[in-house]
Amino acid sequence: MSQSVILKSNKYGINLILDKDIGFEELLSDIIAKFQEADSFFKNAKMALSFEGRELTDEEQYRIAEAISTHSSVTILCIVDNDKLREQALKEIVEAKEEDEAIQTGQFYKGTLRSGQLLECETSIVILGDVHPGAKIISRGNIVVLGALKGNAYAGASGNSTAFVAALDMDPVQIKIGDVIGRSADRAMWSASKKKKKTEPVAEPQVAVVKDGNIYIEPITRGLLNNL
Amino acid sequence: MSEVIVITSGKGGVGKTTTTANVGTGLAQLDKKVVLIDTDIGLRNLDVVMGLENRIVYNLVDVIEGNCRMKQALIKDKRYPNLFLLPSAQTRDKTAVTPEQMMKLTDELKEEFDYILLDCPAGIEQGFKNAIAGADRALIVTTPEVSAIRDADRIIGLLEANEMKQIHLIVNRLRMDMVSRGDMMSIEDVKEILAIDLIGAVPDDEQIVISTNQGEPLVGRTDTMAGMAYANICRRIMGEEVPFLDLNIKTGVFAKIASLFKKN
Repeated sequence: MSQSVILKSNKYGINLILDKDIGFEELLSDIIAKFQEADSFFKNAKMALSFEGRELTDEEQYRIAEAISTHSSVTILCIVDNDKLREQALKEIVEAKEEDEAIQTGQFYKGTLRSGQLLECETSIVILGDVHPGAKIISRGNIVVLGALKGNAYAGASGNSTAFVAALDMDPVQIKIGDVIGRSADRAMWSASKKKKKTEPVAEPQVAVVKDGNIYIEPITRGLLNNL
Repeated sequence: MSEVIVITSGKGGVGKTTTTANVGTGLAQLDKKVVLIDTDIGLRNLDVVMGLENRIVYNLVDVIEGNCRMKQALIKDKRYPNLFLLPSAQTRDKTAVTPEQMMKLTDELKEEFDYILLDCPAGIEQGFKNAIAGADRALIVTTPEVSAIRDADRIIGLLEANEMKQIHLIVNRLRMDMVSRGDMMSIEDVKEILAIDLIGAVPDDEQIVISTNQGEPLVGRTDTMAGMAYANICRRIMGEEVPFLDLNIKTGVFAKIASLFKKN
């Protein structure tokens, strides 16, 4: 017996997993054989039918249902659409749309994020304040901090590595963009020398982006902005 | 016009209880009617620092459970007749009280006292939630160390989320010699990191250890920097504008000798 047809029960009835290479007539007779074989098991069952593994025309679907009804005691109530490919295609369209939206639209958050506070955002986000160590921002789009970023930032949270993180004072513990994680260099949490550096000219705005699978932090320049 | 003030820090061992004892005593010295509440159920020690342990009959949990009246549980201080302590229970835990019960308790005390000071336990769990429930303002105690500051930052975030109206910072255990060498954060550094208003800075002072062991708060003693710093904090709590102490001025014989050498 060939394995061109596999019967699998689901919530509503039977899912037929079909071979996509053999001819339709051969497939049809295999299906009939399978149902005849299992007829004593099904015994006058009423069920919904769905297909998987092969694209079928409406006519082919109808003929399969008809054949099952005439050659076994099973009653087919309806045919349920179970096209994984179509579902996948739809999902991709929806996700791409959402990703676009996440990058292109944004929100504002006014206030300072302190240790232990988590800000999650479906779109890009602009923070008017500081992000302290121990605080975390997660955004599906970009993150812009108009203040000091000293905590954790996770941009492109749905896996989009084209997102960026920008801050007026870039001093993060960790930055994640898409699936790439970058962490700060190991150093003392506080030292007088670090402070002295800070009192020099005001910190320069910087942006973090993913390049060749690594996170790079660079000063914001016109050229860089054009490439974002 | 009475106020409920919670003294909190997140991290343990930074001086919450010492601060509560000294600020409470200091406010009493300024003729305010003050009650100190130890909310650290199961780990009570404000009574020890105040030197009142031997007077405890009833406690906070007894009042809340209705085993006694409020008046029976309040302990009058041995130095100031307008200062009272509501001690914590030692044989229970934080779950013996709810935030709602604490709010009811502080509301009741507001009718009789000018200042109600709540000594908060370390941590951010039930005990912390109980302590902040009825408070109008908060004093955050921190030391100039990264760990204490990180916890203070977390606490400030939680207080802000709970819509605490006023939050002020006390930097405790400053060592100016270390600050001037660049080995310790200065008051300005701590202020910059936490971004809240300072209400006082207390230098590290061995007299604090001595006074704690004796159960005698040192607030107001002009022979110690810590005593003066606490007295100033009290006046600032009452709304007075008091300039900050110059902690670099050292008192004592050794400091004077040291300064002589420096000049040469």
